[in-house]
Amino acid sequence: MEQATDSGPDCEGGSSRRQFIRSLAAISAGLTVAAPLGRAAIPEESIPQTAPPNSGSGLGLVRINLKVNGNTRRLFIDPRVTLLDALRDRLELTGTKKGCDRGTCGACTVHLDGRRVLSCLTLAVMAKEREVTTIEGLAKGDELHPVQAAFIECDGFQCGYCTPGQIMSAVACINEGHSGSEREIREFMSGNLCRCGAYPNIVDAIKIAAAKMKGEVS
Amino acid sequence: MSTQIIGKPQDRVDGRLKVTGRAMYSGDRQEENLTYGYLLTSKVAKGLIQAMDTSVAERSPGVAAVYTPFNPLKLYHGLEPPEGATSGETLPPLQDQKILNYGQIIGLVVAESYEQARDAAALVRTQYQAEEPVASWEQGIEHTFTPESVDREKATVKILAEGVDSIDDAIRGSPLVVDVTYTEPIYHHNPMEPHATTAVWHGDRLTIYDATQGVISHRLNVASVLGIDEDMVRVLCPFVGGAFGCKGSMWMFSPLTAAAARALNRPVKTILTREQMFTLVGHRPALIQHLTLGANPDGTLQAVKHDVRSTVSFAKIFVEAAAHRTSRLLYKSPNIQVSHTLVRWNVGGPTFMRAPGCAPGMFSLECAMDELAVRCGIDPVELRTKNDAEVYPGRNVPWSCKNLVECYQLGAEKFGWSKRNSIPGAVQEGDWLVGMGMASALYPAHRNRASAKVRFQADGTAQVSSATQDLGTGTWTVLAMVGADSLGLPIAKIHTELGDSALPSAPTSGGSASVASVTPAIQKAAESAKKKLIQLAIRDRKSPFFGAKIEDVSYRNGELTGAGKSADFGSVLSGIGRSAVEAVEMAAAGEEEEKYAFHSFGAQFCQVKVNRWTGEVRLQRMTSVMDIGTVVNLKTARSQIMGGIVFGIGMALMEGTILEEKTGRYANANFADYLIATNADVPYIDIHFINKPDTIFNPLGARGIGEIGITGTPAAIANAVYNATGRRVREFPILPEKLLPIGANQPMISMSERS
Repeated sequence: MEQATDSGPDCEGGSSRRQFIRSLAAISAGLTVAAPLGRAAIPEESIPQTAPPNSGSGLGLVRINLKVNGNTRRLFIDPRVTLLDALRDRLELTGTKKGCDRGTCGACTVHLDGRRVLSCLTLAVMAKEREVTTIEGLAKGDELHPVQAAFIECDGFQCGYCTPGQIMSAVACINEGHSGSEREIREFMSGNLCRCGAYPNIVDAIKIAAAKMKGEVS
Repeated sequence: MSTQIIGKPQDRVDGRLKVTGRAMYSGDRQEENLTYGYLLTSKVAKGLIQAMDTSVAERSPGVAAVYTPFNPLKLYHGLEPPEGATSGETLPPLQDQKILNYGQIIGLVVAESYEQARDAAALVRTQYQAEEPVASWEQGIEHTFTPESVDREKATVKILAEGVDSIDDAIRGSPLVVDVTYTEPIYHHNPMEPHATTAVWHGDRLTIYDATQGVISHRLNVASVLGIDEDMVRVLCPFVGGAFGCKGSMWMFSPLTAAAARALNRPVKTILTREQMFTLVGHRPALIQHLTLGANPDGTLQAVKHDVRSTVSFAKIFVEAAAHRTSRLLYKSPNIQVSHTLVRWNVGGPTFMRAPGCAPGMFSLECAMDELAVRCGIDPVELRTKNDAEVYPGRNVPWSCKNLVECYQLGAEKFGWSKRNSIPGAVQEGDWLVGMGMASALYPAHRNRASAKVRFQADGTAQVSSATQDLGTGTWTVLAMVGADSLGLPIAKIHTELGDSALPSAPTSGGSASVASVTPAIQKAAESAKKKLIQLAIRDRKSPFFGAKIEDVSYRNGELTGAGKSADFGSVLSGIGRSAVEAVEMAAAGEEEEKYAFHSFGAQFCQVKVNRWTGEVRLQRMTSVMDIGTVVNLKTARSQIMGGIVFGIGMALMEGTILEEKTGRYANANFADYLIATNADVPYIDIHFINKPDTIFNPLGARGIGEIGITGTPAAIANAVYNATGRRVREFPILPEKLLPIGANQPMISMSERS
């Protein structure tokens, strides 16, 4: 299933992605008819003493540990909640963006154990006890990741909304060894849509960053 | 204007926020006690809602309220275009049971979490009395009408030579005639950021975080629909995740969200789903364009006739001025006639989309010009050069600064146009047929009244503020650059503020007008702020310039000099115990508007290859030369043109919304089925600027740049496809099946002739 959420090229992801969506639908259907659910998820430490009326706090929630950007966060979470919505609505990590919520645009790309996944097609409960890296966790303090720096240098974005997903995908694209040529970069970055049309600049940025990252490794 | 900053490639000042995920978009707002709104939308395109059963949804966990026409929130009719700052949606939702389009708002569910709101929305049962919608050109015939005006002219504009009675006479008198019809589907903007509203009330004051191209206009429109004074509303929008026109008007989900927040006394956040983006926030209307070009055998135009039919909704009129903004003025011809009719469909409201009028109009005009070039047997560049208009047809005023012929020449040279084989299908590479095509680019230059504030601060920095917006266009950076340039300070010393309706008023960021409108106000405010600074410096006893004559003290690069002394403004201000000195100025276009015409121009050249067996079209390379006046930021200007071209690639080869005739439902309202260009679809794009300042237009000499890139691109691609295959596809987009079978028959050069 992890493989199925890979946002790599269509030739690899196509059928497995469909399978994944089917299985996801089955899971959601099963869970939504379960116990009445209260406020969908709240960091455990912030659960109010007195639950607001009609909220049903605590009922049907699942307790998970989410390890995001090196920090472990405990959550009581509605099993329907996607990793994307858990990050955005519960952990205030809004850098990861929702562009379609259907796995078709790549704006929500994050890393799960170092692999790029679409967080809108990943339930938060599936990410428990695993390493989640988001755009907020890429820089080392004030020092930008080489891909982040190259995106600024090459103007690899305009509105910036797809950018977190593009950057997470670009880092993975380089780490996967798919930055060997412009053509290869274009192919392996085509799961991330950019309506502003910054694609040629994104390719330039990945070339620069890949060279830099290679230099750092060797 | 110093050349130290203006025109250089400058990294975006907001770049760091965007690459680290810290740029806060409207849907990213976190609020104490926040609730989530989820819109209910109609599942029929025409009819009445008979009943809605919300009982299960209301009992669903976490649900705070379910609003419907049977449990409405009071909303008022929106402002009409002349009253409102932009033409937005005017019909308020939930005030009656009438359905005018599929996907119309029929309710709002508010709950503690997004999941609870979404799933409760699925539990609402709605009963409709459905009628057959109007959702095709055929059905629309009886709903056809003529608009009152088109682009501030009559619906039919006739420019006829003396002694010519009608455009048809002029066509009949032309030795060569090209008579062609082009059709285009509905297109959707599809910015990556879905529209989002977070509404927060503090007593009777509303703060609304909204994805909008115009915070000032949005404030006015939201206030009017809520029935409150606009002074009670503050709109904030520091970042917009792409817009392309669909965030230029107010759409009703926004005041509806605010009304729910008021009723519940809690903040409400509503984010549209991708599917809702297709029916609730506008689109480019479908078009049928009929073009007739009459010419002499040498290609000199004798008659240009361009008739446009475009769609509107039953609730909103928007005219996609495809002929009035293109054939009306681009080429010199003794006889020109453009006309426009509208056809009502049961769809959501149409609106401006990147290069309204020009993008679709230039597609058909520039394809027709290519057909004429073939007909005359002359080169497409030569044909356009020969028909270049020196004065604006019918008005006989010159353009403020037009360098279109230079665009053709430079583009042809950079692209290697001389290597083109004019015989269709002549160039083959294995299974691929290779072709080259070109087209002109065109977009009007707009400038609107705008204000800005410039503020010197005691810490040695300066602030530039205006209620303008950055849609990804680079306004944050341009404001900083023009502020730095005007004050002679490094960009790092400039703080900018925008996207806040509390700042000095600026127009909606549309029509490629923001830089042209706001920068003159910044320059003016900078000069006023300098004067105020000097006045302060000579009047205060603690200032080193105390007692000096005003004319003896001057400002340069952050320093005051005079009376044998010099000091930087920061130390002057702190010395006299003042935190800041500021000035607000307004700037607007003057009488030059009567004496000149203002347009940006360009030339697009491209090479495609078409697979002989599959009909797949691959764009191989593209050269673009743009005449847009002064280039302010070379880096973001290049990106803007590139982005327009990428939009044009989609328009030509893959985009298009499919409307189901029977149901009025969009069949492909998602990114899996509405295809936009991906990285693998886009080749290297070679972009050049003429870079001649248009100082008649504004002091900086900068015309707009956000939209022109899309114009000409689809036609250049279509013309290259013709050159590759001999096929004219006049029904956009150029899908592979429309080209097949290739080579099985003779090239289809069908042009009806009239004699």
